[in-house]
Amino acid sequence: MSAITHPPAKVASLKPPAGQSLWSESWQRLRRNRAALLGVVIIVINVLMALFAPVLAPLPYDQQVLQDNNAAPLWVTRLFPNMKPKEEGGYVTISDDYLLGADKLGRDLWSRIIWGARVSLTVAFIGPLVSILVGLIVGLIAGYFGGWLDNFLMRTVDIMYAFPTLLFIILLMTFFRTSFAQPEPGTFAYSLGQLDTASGGMLFIFIGIGLTSWMQMARLVRGQVLSQRNREYIEAAHAMGANTPRIMFNHILPNILGPLIVAETLTIPTYISFEAFLSFIGLGVNPPMPSWGSMISDGSRAISSYPNQALFPAIALFLVMFAFNFLGDGLRDALDPRMRGVD
Amino acid sequence: MKTTRFARFLSVLLVVAVLFSAIGAISAQDRKVIVTGISMVGGDIPTIDPQLAETSASIEAINQMFVGLTAQDVTNNALAEGMATFEVTENADGGATYTFTVRQDVPWVRYNPETDAVEQLTDESGAVRMVTAADFYYGIMRGLDPRTASPYAYVPVGYINGASDFNGLVLEDGGDAAAYEQSLAELQAATAVRLVDDATIEIDAPANTLFTAYIYGLWVMRATPEWVIEEFGDLWVEAENIATYGPFALKEWAHDESMTLIKNPFWPGTAGVPQAKIDEVVFRFLDPQQQLAEYEAGNIDAIQIPLEEWDRIQADPVLSAEYVTGTNPCSYYIGFDNLEAPTDNVHLRRALSYAVDRETIVTNVTKRGETAARWFTRPDVNAAPTLELFPDLGISYDPTKAQEEFAIALTELGYSSASELQLSLSYNDSGNHGAVMQAIQQMWREVLGLEVTLDPRESATYFASLSEEAPAAYRSGWCQDYPDTNSYLYDVFFSQTTQNDTGFANEEFDQLVSQARLSQDNAERIELYARAEQILVVEEAAIIPIYWYALALMVKPNVERAPSVTGNEAYYLWDIR
Repeated sequence: MSAITHPPAKVASLKPPAGQSLWSESWQRLRRNRAALLGVVIIVINVLMALFAPVLAPLPYDQQVLQDNNAAPLWVTRLFPNMKPKEEGGYVTISDDYLLGADKLGRDLWSRIIWGARVSLTVAFIGPLVSILVGLIVGLIAGYFGGWLDNFLMRTVDIMYAFPTLLFIILLMTFFRTSFAQPEPGTFAYSLGQLDTASGGMLFIFIGIGLTSWMQMARLVRGQVLSQRNREYIEAAHAMGANTPRIMFNHILPNILGPLIVAETLTIPTYISFEAFLSFIGLGVNPPMPSWGSMISDGSRAISSYPNQALFPAIALFLVMFAFNFLGDGLRDALDPRMRGVD
Repeated sequence: MKTTRFARFLSVLLVVAVLFSAIGAISAQDRKVIVTGISMVGGDIPTIDPQLAETSASIEAINQMFVGLTAQDVTNNALAEGMATFEVTENADGGATYTFTVRQDVPWVRYNPETDAVEQLTDESGAVRMVTAADFYYGIMRGLDPRTASPYAYVPVGYINGASDFNGLVLEDGGDAAAYEQSLAELQAATAVRLVDDATIEIDAPANTLFTAYIYGLWVMRATPEWVIEEFGDLWVEAENIATYGPFALKEWAHDESMTLIKNPFWPGTAGVPQAKIDEVVFRFLDPQQQLAEYEAGNIDAIQIPLEEWDRIQADPVLSAEYVTGTNPCSYYIGFDNLEAPTDNVHLRRALSYAVDRETIVTNVTKRGETAARWFTRPDVNAAPTLELFPDLGISYDPTKAQEEFAIALTELGYSSASELQLSLSYNDSGNHGAVMQAIQQMWREVLGLEVTLDPRESATYFASLSEEAPAAYRSGWCQDYPDTNSYLYDVFFSQTTQNDTGFANEEFDQLVSQARLSQDNAERIELYARAEQILVVEEAAIIPIYWYALALMVKPNVERAPSVTGNEAYYLWDIR
């Protein structure tokens, strides 16, 4: 009896079912990659944190209780033995109102970390967005048409590439900050400055990162297009009378999308670290808007007295960068056509 | 076998013995060296040229190497003998002539790395070059010369007849250079500084005030070596070129890292500036956090305490015992652009000032012994109103009055609610300014319901940008140049001074500080200054006084610091126990 109830499905599952698309198959491979999945979970949690920051944060990010400056809960003082509470002859004000402690103005670290996720994650999405919009189009055009157009676009990219990216962003930020400091009302510079102030200083970071992020993408896309351009299916498409945009977007693009997604996911941590770095050196968001970079910067000045103030935002930053790296890694394995049917 | 092992043992013993004797030899010539970070910041000292100095790091180094015509007893601000003795004669026109007799026994010196000693400098004939009145004349004129562009010339300019015309003459774009040189020479000749002989120099002052003698001792008026500056240009301040004469000489200037001064044995010592007791001073250019780390590692002897580590230092039995406090003659304030909307409205300015809880700022934000300020001038400065004499003077935290004034301001400015009022608060983004400004931002929000934006700016260009165009509200500070209230109220807020970035101009205020400036009676001056302060911070509320600074230093227990009240350390008075 028992022999008959053997599920026949198991036999079938050994072979990939015919007609399964590359994408659903890739998704299955990704699901089996634990590290990548952990990355996805962390990213989803962070996105939720950023979206629902006003609800999730126990206190407003800029609410100061000056009497509670540098306060910490008991468990934090147990974690760092040199942070002795006042009651034990140390210097730390104990307050359990703050989950991770408070900064030097008595602002809740945990709430600020939650709000800080907004800045980091916005950068994580704006960076790729600009890079794909600009880089993809430039790369497609250069790769597909070739000739002088290709030459012109790629030399432009080469020149832009010659600037060290981080230095270039720092220069841009300094330029923005000084030239938009006090413009006349009514001018374009003035409205830009107002937008930047309204976004807590994030606008110029986006512009800075956007201006530098598309070059690598353009090169990659061009290379991929070159490798596809003379394939038989493109010839077939030509023969069928498909026009240029249709060939570019409907035929070539889907076939090169895999490597692009992988490359972009793996670059996201770079954007996040750029933002953190800019905020760390004081060119990032305006106070009191928190960013993990500026929180680490503030905390690092008190590192031997209150290590919690630098450590917790650093952990948050580490986790998100780790998550995007592992997701990118998992995507690379999952989207590789040569991995098809393996495992 | 046995003998070789014994020989090896012997040779090891010998090496160890040699090593020990070497160590003994080094400790025998033990030099008294103090390593300090006070007044220093990360980076480099901008300059040690007396005529070009403006930061406290520069001034501190210059004070150890160049001595003025007059000097100050740094422990009590009293006038003391520097390089000269002087007499004052009143002139018929109400002015006064200061006649300085310069010491003739002080040589120009330079450190020679080959002999590892400070050596006297000689001229072409081999005679020792002494510091003379001519060197002071050269230094004073170099400071006043508009081509030198001395940032501190504006102070002595008001106290030397004819100096403001000379200092104020600027070559117009496309102007005739030769004619410019000509008129400069004429104006220099018309400037009332006269070189009588090698020992005597006379200066005509527009008035005989209580503090003019201090001004003549300022770094910008110190002697500088003409022949060295002619030969080396801007590089004259490097250790291999410089010539100095004070208690210390420059031994090494490792740019961006440290500066080492060595005792000058040829400095005879005066009542105000005695011979140094220690052999060397090393300035380390470090940021406060790094200074503390180096201090705790035992690599540095004296530092300023960084705010972030204050709690821990206070709780630590060893570190708290090494904490030193004292007078730091500076005031911290927020200035307003008094001329442009919306801060041209006095009720708005007053509302903003009443809404700042200074006590909370000094206890919970800055923490290191500062005093909540009720007015601008520090009470411990000569002729300044004190809290004992004037308990009700000035302004302090008062949310009710703040709200009343704010309501009037909104009506006058034509706003229906606080949210229509756009205001930004600018500050130089260094040290603890960000924390203080964020605390004030919250106080304004809580008391007035006013949301201001913060505008952190680059430190390096901040103060220059204030002079060009003052933002609506901006953080600033003022440290005395000489110990008198005139250095605060007249030099900063008299309507005509170049330091007045606020645009504040009040006839009665101008009249009060001008009268107090010339008065010889300190009791009368205190009354005049009290009235002037009331106009500045309450009636006109041109600025918001926040706090009066305090020193927060750490000094190793074996180091004896001279308790300076001038804001500059005098290392020639320091010692090692």
